[in-house]
Amino acid sequence: MTSSTIWRDAAAAELVKVRTLRSTWAFLAGGVIVTAMGALILYFLVQSYDAATPADRANYETADPTVVTMPFVMFFVGAIGAMLITSEYTTRSIGPALLAVPQRRILLAAKAGVAGIIGLGCGAVFALLAFADARLLLGDRPAPLNPWPQWTDAVPTVLCATVLVFVTCLVAVGLGAALRSTAAALTTIGGLVLVTPMIAHFLPTVWHLRLASVLLPNLTPQLAGSDHPYLLSQGGAAAVAAAYVIVALGAGALALSRRDAS
Amino acid sequence: MIELRELTKRYGPALAVDRLSFEVRPGVVTGFLGPNGAGKSTTMRMMLGLHRPTSGEALIGGRRYAEIRRPLHEVGAVLDADAAHPGRTAATHLACLARSNGIGRARVDAVLEQVGLASAAHQRVGGFSLGMRQRLGIAGALLGDPAVIVLDEPVNGLDAVGIRWIRSTLRALAAEGRTVLLSSHLMSEMALTVDRVLIIGKGRLIEDTSVAEMRDRFERDVLVRTPRPADLTALLTGHGATVTRTPDGDLVVLGLDAPAIGDAAAGASIPVHGLTPRSATLEDVYLEMTEESVEFRATALEGALR
Repeated sequence: MTSSTIWRDAAAAELVKVRTLRSTWAFLAGGVIVTAMGALILYFLVQSYDAATPADRANYETADPTVVTMPFVMFFVGAIGAMLITSEYTTRSIGPALLAVPQRRILLAAKAGVAGIIGLGCGAVFALLAFADARLLLGDRPAPLNPWPQWTDAVPTVLCATVLVFVTCLVAVGLGAALRSTAAALTTIGGLVLVTPMIAHFLPTVWHLRLASVLLPNLTPQLAGSDHPYLLSQGGAAAVAAAYVIVALGAGALALSRRDAS
Repeated sequence: MIELRELTKRYGPALAVDRLSFEVRPGVVTGFLGPNGAGKSTTMRMMLGLHRPTSGEALIGGRRYAEIRRPLHEVGAVLDADAAHPGRTAATHLACLARSNGIGRARVDAVLEQVGLASAAHQRVGGFSLGMRQRLGIAGALLGDPAVIVLDEPVNGLDAVGIRWIRSTLRALAAEGRTVLLSSHLMSEMALTVDRVLIIGKGRLIEDTSVAEMRDRFERDVLVRTPRPADLTALLTGHGATVTRTPDGDLVVLGLDAPAIGDAAAGASIPVHGLTPRSATLEDVYLEMTEESVEFRATALEGALR
């Protein structure tokens, strides 16, 4: 029997596990709620825009809903990825999981595979929902309010937002394996995608840009090559995203294979 | 077959398991005994690849557990009755394990039936009693129809019906030629279930023997009731026995077993009204053996209240 067969069976089991965790559906509901709230905010913004004078309209910033909603989506979908492993430590079911698949790196790879599927699937759905909100609510209103006057303009952003949710989900699995605690893993993911970007704003401009450029949510516009104030090229953004995954999963693999199970 | 070779586990300065070597053979139920903190659970966890040994190795069927592919087909284990996600149903919990080892859904239903949980298959594990969780754990251990079964304290918290069920299940599994190892800190419970015992204390092997050998080895004396104690004392002393009298007038005979005493008395036409071989209970023997290994000891209540 090959390692790929073990991985395939383990991944199939992980799919059953993630489907039967209530927290999975709660976090998905969180993504839906935040997307709906993003649409509501955009609706009010459009109302305000329509009531403004032409001179004021020119001062409106781009109403890209992915900027508002996707960091929260990254958090909620990343939490699903982290829970794939931390829920097993919390409920002590990591024991039976390792008895069933004692090849620990293969088990982690199976969890990462499932997290990747969830990240890509959910990332695409929520990014498309945000795009649909924008198309429906912004209609044919012009730039700068409308970030995507043509629907094809949105394609790089939607794709790159999907990729960054995928990346966050993989990072979350690695963090979960390294930290073994749901609270610690969710706090760290929240810190990475929600808190640090806000804190970065309080730094002097040069340091703000340096730090903000390597934060997960800000990699989306840099990877898409759209208008942004950050410092990285598309290749640089891709390298930073890859580094997040390699470091987090590497730390998770090291912790899982070296430490006693419980 | 389970083999341990010089298995050692150290946690910082504390030595939990100290060069432990033994074999667990198929076809019998083997008990793994020791007081709390003796290193039983740590040993089992190393055996099953959950803990990494400091040195030495544990082999199951000649391989380390981590090298076994689809291990549920070869080894079934329950180390913690609570190790199931409380939000999942019993059937889903088993389905996850089964899927990871290429075991079909029909087997899940079969083992749930076997352990008597078929009617609770679609209830969440969080609502299960301890007895139901133990049964679910054993269902998980039986999923792959393995040749080796390892259970850590399987009767903890069970009622009489549950204990009897586990005993009969383990005996039936051993009778099918499987290797069955279960741990406990209670000799009284093991005496009724196991054929062989491995006793450890402070991480070291104290005894590897059969229950029958243990009983024989610690047989102490024979209590004899006779209306002619003086005659019988003289007779038995002549046969090399040491005889003392109890305050009740009975004789306590050391050095001859009950059949020899009976035969000698019959030969001399001395009536015998009672002949009782007295041995230490297995519990006494076990406590004697592990006396120096007990980590935590309570003061006797009587003394404490003084």
